[in-house]
Amino acid sequence: MKVRVDPDRCQGHTICSMIAPSLFTLNDEDGHSTAIDGEVPGDLEAKAAEAIRSCPEQAISVIP
Amino acid sequence: MSTEPVTDDERKRNRYHFDRHTPDYREQFTEVTAEMLDKCPVAWSDTYGGHWVAAGHSEVFELARSADYVSNDHDPANERRGYKGISIPSPEVAFRGGFLEMDPPEQRYYRQLLNPYLSPAAVARWEPLVDEIVRASLNEKIETGRIDFVDDLANVVPAVLTLGMLGIPLEHWDIYVEPIHASVYTPPNSPDMPRLQASRLAMRDDMMGQLSDIRASGRPGLIYALATAEINGSVPPDFELLGIISLLIGGGFDTTTALTAHALEWLSEHPDQRQRLSAERETLLNPATEEFLRYFTPAPGDGRTISADCVIAGQEFKEGERLWLSWAMSNRDPEVFPNPNEVDLARTGNRHHSFGLGIHRCIGSNVARMVFKRMVTAVLDRMPDYVCDPAGAEHYQTIGIIQGMKHLPATFTPGPRIGDGLAETVARMQVLVDEQRLAEPVTARKGAASAT
Repeated sequence: MKVRVDPDRCQGHTICSMIAPSLFTLNDEDGHSTAIDGEVPGDLEAKAAEAIRSCPEQAISVIP
Repeated sequence: MSTEPVTDDERKRNRYHFDRHTPDYREQFTEVTAEMLDKCPVAWSDTYGGHWVAAGHSEVFELARSADYVSNDHDPANERRGYKGISIPSPEVAFRGGFLEMDPPEQRYYRQLLNPYLSPAAVARWEPLVDEIVRASLNEKIETGRIDFVDDLANVVPAVLTLGMLGIPLEHWDIYVEPIHASVYTPPNSPDMPRLQASRLAMRDDMMGQLSDIRASGRPGLIYALATAEINGSVPPDFELLGIISLLIGGGFDTTTALTAHALEWLSEHPDQRQRLSAERETLLNPATEEFLRYFTPAPGDGRTISADCVIAGQEFKEGERLWLSWAMSNRDPEVFPNPNEVDLARTGNRHHSFGLGIHRCIGSNVARMVFKRMVTAVLDRMPDYVCDPAGAEHYQTIGIIQGMKHLPATFTPGPRIGDGLAETVARMQVLVDEQRLAEPVTARKGAASAT
């Protein structure tokens, strides 16, 4: 499983990084989020799913 | 097949008499919300000259993120289309309330200018200072066993921090705190109005003085960024900058106060949950904060103007129509929040709308969260058995603008002071802000404050 934050939808709510700080990095200047490259570690898949579900802008998706 | 245009009566067939400025609306919020969510998630109301009301979560989500059709613009001088901004009804003395009453691209220039002062990384630098102000505020009351959480804590800390970020001397916090707080809850016909007007004028004078001081001295902070800004190639006039400074102060003060007071009151009424939050704060404080934000929605909504005929969320809108986006009601939508009228500190999937959505997401959301968490955890640590006094707790009579509290007195087992009091701490923190240039943007200064 890989995840992606759509930069056009993200508004910097920061919920994803509260839920899974190791999966999402916030930009220092505006707090907008970027997901890690590569596979989500197996033990963090539930956290990734929770971040997707909790994003107020629905900006996070699973990449096939 | 008919090609007749849809009549206004058909477009507005979902009707609801919606008046959020009455005490009734506050008292019947749960019932009104359930009824609107069930029957008319978007409704036409005849109140205040007629306007749409969006209550449903998916409807609010779509509308708030449709900046091409839904405008925040406030244009009192009628230089563009005369739109009325985010207040319904619009205030009698109209002036543009900063970038929250602008559309892109102008709005975007200001956001990009100010984000580096308010991003999560920028805000984290202030945490040691906030802890000092919280500690000192509690010191003032800790030996007495009595505190008013609004007057003695939740009004103080957000105000001191906001002034610090703006670049205004911290000790001026008491010039600003009363007019901002009281303006929200004092009705126009109140006998207290003349005193409030005088305090507003004093605040306005100080603000104008600060703007010119900072322009001359180069003291860092949000005001310096504004005072030296070129927006789209020109320097904004002072009245525009004062509108922005007022927006930052209005947004920074009473909203966080309201959230903190409501959360502390709820925790007093639910001591088992308070104990759980304290014990499990490492995992529970983040979701609990989001849940308090959802449930109490300090800023309950925003007005908009439809800027082009459109169909959004299945509703046909016409250019020029006014729209109220209810963050508070959409936060109770059972489609998204199971048991929406219960506080669940560990709630997951909490896509609440309390900081708004889309390009106008509250620019101070990171400040609000941080200050709230530092205040609440300090109270849990130093006044763990506090009990709020229901007879003294005073909620705002109406929740049309801010869902807040005037007073929240509480008693607790007295404890020892730790370190110095508020005035001394504010003075020490001023030295620290100046020496460490804390109010610089995160692009210029990265590390956290050293408060020792």
